[in-house]
Amino acid sequence: MRAVAVQAAPVLPSGLFERLAWHWRYNPKLEFWIAWYSMVFFYNLFGVVFVGMTRVMPPPQPWWDTPRVVQWFNDNHNGLLVGFGIIFLVSGLTAACNALIGYSMRRMSVSRAFAYSYIAIYSVSALPGMLLTAIALTVGAMRPERDPELIYWLYDMGFMCFVGTMGIFLIGTLVWMIAILIDKNRVLPKWFGYLNICNLITEFVVATSWVFKKGVFAWNGAIAFWVDTAVFAVYTVAFIYLLRKMIKREDFGDGPLPA
Amino acid sequence: MTDAGAAADCARFAPPDERIRPGDAAHYVPGQPDMWVFVLVEALIFASYFVIYMLHRVQDPALYLRSQERLNAGLGVTNTLILLVSSWFMARCVQSSRERRYDVAFRQVLFTMVLGLLFIGFKLIDWSRMVSEGLELSTNEFFSFYYFLTAIHVLHVLIGFVFLIVAAYQLRSPLRRSQEIVETCATYWHMVDFLWVMIFALLYVIR
Repeated sequence: MRAVAVQAAPVLPSGLFERLAWHWRYNPKLEFWIAWYSMVFFYNLFGVVFVGMTRVMPPPQPWWDTPRVVQWFNDNHNGLLVGFGIIFLVSGLTAACNALIGYSMRRMSVSRAFAYSYIAIYSVSALPGMLLTAIALTVGAMRPERDPELIYWLYDMGFMCFVGTMGIFLIGTLVWMIAILIDKNRVLPKWFGYLNICNLITEFVVATSWVFKKGVFAWNGAIAFWVDTAVFAVYTVAFIYLLRKMIKREDFGDGPLPA
Repeated sequence: MTDAGAAADCARFAPPDERIRPGDAAHYVPGQPDMWVFVLVEALIFASYFVIYMLHRVQDPALYLRSQERLNAGLGVTNTLILLVSSWFMARCVQSSRERRYDVAFRQVLFTMVLGLLFIGFKLIDWSRMVSEGLELSTNEFFSFYYFLTAIHVLHVLIGFVFLIVAAYQLRSPLRRSQEIVETCATYWHMVDFLWVMIFALLYVIR
């Protein structure tokens, strides 16, 4: 924090670049804002890549036969390679999100173990929830002449990793939820603590995709994918907004912090 | 911080029960308003499940009717009554707590817990009976919905036990006893009851 520098800060100029320069030099919360904008940038890019470029969201049919799966890889060849290339490049930005959420817990009146375990869990979760999918589908798209059965195998692996490996997110969500609900500093509102229950339950719901290849419980089903994704979207927008509010707050330190 | 700011913060960080004044009765929401936000979101999520269930049901009503006949309606009704009575005990618990009869309230929350356990016990019996008859998650679409909706509900009941334990913990010691927290826990438990009534109607009753 650069609290000393802010006292000598001149008036905020009007031009865009001048304002940016001013914030760079004088904004005492510069590090927070860099982390917050990195998070927003990452989630937007994630949406563009997974929905628009690679066509991984919404997921294609789990019941397709081998030729149809090979065709899917051929149809999305460039999108998969370029899209996931971008994801490999920026995947480290998830650290900014984890850091801000970890920081929120460090402002709470709860043990440091909450923040540390959350950061550890969510650092690992990027692997099954995003990177393994990206690796499997990139490998599948890389050589269209590969044995179709192997491509079929990579397809299943990619999508089962993407949709079905939610247990790790479940524990991370649980950690944040408990921290918010027992916190006395009111860093984040209780309603968001309860909203974590909704997100946590969706992690159970997606487990049905391990059993079903067709219908509402399959990996692209109305319940296992669409309802869950809607809940996750609401949850994500809520925490991005609340983290912004948290950064803007000036009353930190009013409540007790852990020893 | 200015004096006004400090006063506002004091008011904001005051224990919840002290923020409720007699004159506020018309605007009084039982428990934390935050819990009601959660109830609303949960109601929306379950409503989406119910709509999806009904959309699939109208596509093959004969299958759903045939499958419904394999359910044990007696156990369904018993479980509904058990949850309704548990909710009644929880409502009595809130009332007892308001009247500062904390020992009675504590016993009532324990009764609620016992009935919750009984509900889960009957549900496990029902599931094991159905599995032994060859009615499994992937038997047909109706049973997929049946196991999914009842299992997600049982998950809510299990989370409900955490809220009941919190309520019991609050009522146990004179050092705690936050009426707001007891009411928040009761609100969650009533939601569990309300969701079951909807699930019961959709799976067992509707023809």
